[in-house]
Amino acid sequence: MVSTIENIGRISLDAFRSLHETLAFAGRVIRKIIDGKTYNSATRGVLLNQIYFTAVQILPLFLAGSIVFGTLLIGVVFQMITDLGLAGYLGNILMGLLVIELAPLITALLIALRSGSAINAEIAVMKVNQELKTLEVFNIDLTGYLFVPRIVNGVLSVSLLTSLFSVVVLISGLVFSNLMFGMSFDAYANALLDSTELSDMVLSIVKAAAFGFFVTMIPIQAGLKATRELTSIPVSVMNGMVSVFIAIAVIEVLSLIARMI
Amino acid sequence: MTRNRNCLGLVSQDIPLISNLDVWINIALIRLYHRNQPRGESEKEVVGYLDRYGLGQIAYRRSPALTNRERFCVMLLRAAMVADAEILIDRPFRIMPELEDGFFVLECIGVIEDLYRSSCIFDYSWFRDRYGIGDAAEHSI
Repeated sequence: MVSTIENIGRISLDAFRSLHETLAFAGRVIRKIIDGKTYNSATRGVLLNQIYFTAVQILPLFLAGSIVFGTLLIGVVFQMITDLGLAGYLGNILMGLLVIELAPLITALLIALRSGSAINAEIAVMKVNQELKTLEVFNIDLTGYLFVPRIVNGVLSVSLLTSLFSVVVLISGLVFSNLMFGMSFDAYANALLDSTELSDMVLSIVKAAAFGFFVTMIPIQAGLKATRELTSIPVSVMNGMVSVFIAIAVIEVLSLIARMI
Repeated sequence: MTRNRNCLGLVSQDIPLISNLDVWINIALIRLYHRNQPRGESEKEVVGYLDRYGLGQIAYRRSPALTNRERFCVMLLRAAMVADAEILIDRPFRIMPELEDGFFVLECIGVIEDLYRSSCIFDYSWFRDRYGIGDAAEHSI
C-alpha cells in the first residue's frame, strides 16, 4: 500500500518536474523569438533551410496525402450526414469538425512524424558528437542559432500546411456536395460562411501555431538530453516522440475546452 | 579573461566541425553570426581563404568527406574567423595522426598570418623533435 502511494507520488513529481522543465524551456525560447537581436545572417539562413525541409520538400507528399485523406474524411462525413438527415448542418460539420479540429491535428501529426523526429535525432547527434560544445566555444548561442529557427519554422509550417489541408478538404467537400446533394457552389459557400465564426478561426490558427511550437520544441529538448553514448540517440528520439504525442493530445483537449467556453 | 575568451580561436579534436553544414558555412558561421555578414559575401571570402591552401574545391563538402589535413585547414580557418583571433592549436597530431612532423602545421599557420593576432600550439614536450625544437623549456608555458 505504502509503496503504491510512493510510486504514485514519484510519478506525479516526475510529471510535474518534466512539465516545469518544458514550460521553462518554452519561456526561454519565446523570449529569444521576440528578441530582434536573435535574427542575424546565420539564423536567417537556418530558418530558410528549415522551412524548405519542413514545408516545401514535403509539399508533393503532403498534397497527395491531403487529397486522399481529405476526400476519405469528406466521403465518410457526407455518408453520415445523408444517413442521419443532417444536410442542414453541412457547413457546421465541415468547418467545426474538419477545418477547425482535424486539419491542424492531422498536419501536426505529419510534421511530428517527419520533421519532429528528424530534429530530435539531429540535436541528439550534435550532442553526442560534441558539436553543441563547438558552438558554445565560439560564443554562438544555442537557443538563438539552433533552436529558434527550428521552432519558428514549426509554427509557420504547421500553420501554412493546415491552411492547405483545409483548402483541399473544402474543395473535396464542394465536389461531394455537388454529387450527393446537387448543391451549387454558391449554396456551398454560403453554408460554410454562415457557420464560420471569427473566434473559431482565431482558435484554429492559435492551435496550429501551438502544435507547430511544441512539435518542434519538445524534440529539441529531448535531443539535448542525449548523453555522449551513441545508444542514447534512439532513446532520446523515442522519449521525445512520446512527449510530442502527449503534448498534441493536451493541446487538442485544451482547444476543445476553449471552444466550449 | 572575458576578452581572451571572446578572442580565442580554438583548433582541437574536441571542437569538431558541424557535420551537417558545408565546409564554407562551418568557416563563415562565426562572422555570419557575430558580424551579421551577408551570406554571399561570406561565401566568396571563405572560398578565397580555402584557395590559399589550394582547397577551394572542398567548400561545398561536409566534414566526413574531408581528409585529416583538409579538416585541420578548415578548423584553422574557422578559428581565424574570430575577431582579433588568438589561435590556440591543441595537440595537432590528434587531428592528423599520420603527420610525421609539425612543419605542415607551421606552414598552414603561416599561410593565413594576416587573419589572426597571435597563435600558439599546445602539445606534449616529447613531441619537440617533430617541431624541430631543440630546447623544449624555451617554448613551454
